[in-house]
Amino acid sequence: MFPKKSPKVTIDYTKCGEKGQMDPRDCAKCLRVCDPAIFILHESPNMPIDPVDPKYWRITPVWLSLCNMCMKCVKVCPLGAITVSR
Amino acid sequence: MCDWCMKHGAGGKWYMNAKNYSNELAEAMNAQEYLREQWKAFEMVYIRRIMGITSIDLGYKLQLPIIGRILRWSAERMIHSEGKHRNPVRADGHFGQVIPLEEAKVILGNLAAEPIIENYCMCRWMQRGIKEACCINFGLLSGVIEKLPRFIPKDTKYRLDRDEAIARIEEHNKKGYVATVWFQPVPYINAICSCENPECGGLRLRNDFGLHTVYKGEYVAEVDPDRCQACGTCVTKCQFGALRLVHSLKRVIVDINKCFGCGVCRHACKYDAINLVPRENYPALRGVY
Ligand code: SF4
Ligand code: SF4
Ligand code: SF4
Ligand code: SF4
Ligand code: SF4
Repeated sequence: MFPKKSPKVTIDYTKCGEKGQMDPRDCAKCLRVCDPAIFILHESPNMPIDPVDPKYWRITPVWLSLCNMCMKCVKVCPLGAITVSR
Repeated sequence: MCDWCMKHGAGGKWYMNAKNYSNELAEAMNAQEYLREQWKAFEMVYIRRIMGITSIDLGYKLQLPIIGRILRWSAERMIHSEGKHRNPVRADGHFGQVIPLEEAKVILGNLAAEPIIENYCMCRWMQRGIKEACCINFGLLSGVIEKLPRFIPKDTKYRLDRDEAIARIEEHNKKGYVATVWFQPVPYINAICSCENPECGGLRLRNDFGLHTVYKGEYVAEVDPDRCQACGTCVTKCQFGALRLVHSLKRVIVDINKCFGCGVCRHACKYDAINLVPRENYPALRGVY
């Protein structure tokens, strides 16, 4: 008895994140459109650490098992950076 | 009273024990060091690898046959750890309980160590990218958070005196935010939060994954059938789906197994039909938090 696989949600960090044109703190549309709130905003790993005021941020889809594949995040993203699939 | 009251309540509830708020306790535990480490990159808590595993897709991982059980067991152990070598970046020993407005006011009026600050809520920031000043922190934790500009409101007064803190918690509670009090780390208490479900990370882990990051309150709601006018307003306030308007009965019923005893439904009732009663009044709920 293996558990049901969760939907796969990805964000293209070359578009949104520390290396993209968008700082997710300025947009945050996906964070807010998702009813089950599956995304987490956090400072980017692998970047110089600023222990007081981090400058580089990205979003990770974390609570994948709660994603209902409504596709609202895909539609709302101004950069087309999000994919949702089985 | 729960297990934590037995351990840290000095005969009463854990969050009514003045000692748990004291600077002396905080210093003896070296809490400042812990809090500094925990807060400087709090947003990484679900992203970091902890024993090789992150929280990403936790729902799936917890259902795996053997690994899932081990994972749940070790997560509960971390959340409630009282060990000497607690790891701040995974928030070892950090958990809380729902409290009604009356008790939050007693804490802010008498027990909380000064300085008291109200900073941007960490959870709403991480989960929604929203900055809302509604987290009330105190004692050594205030000094730690004050040094982190992303949590400090710019245009409003964030250092509060006791009366201001009480006025703020009252405002949040009436809006429908659930008051919670936190060990960070156990047994040091330094925060009263005003949470929403599922934005609050603690409530998320509790409600969606069954981890005991937040305990239910010491009370449950009771509706007076003679007073209830079946207007349904209270139902819209409950964040836990514990209330239902039964049209055929012409009143609201409470699912005591879902009720967290936050009491915010009471503020919505114009007819004074909802009261909080001690959880232990119900034999079925004794010891169930
Ligand atoms: S598909 Fe819907 S539920 Fe899934 S992450 Fe996007 S907005 Fe959230
Ligand atoms: S909606 Fe798109 S651009 Fe906006 S924060 Fe989310 S991933 Fe980034
Ligand atoms: S526990 Fe509640 S108030 Fe505190 S940071 Fe989380 S949601 Fe905000
Ligand atoms: S708000 Fe009061 S009167 Fe209205 S349904 Fe709820 S308990 Fe009844
Ligand atoms: S029914 Fe219980 S959980 Fe729901 S709002 Fe009232 S006290 Fe809170």
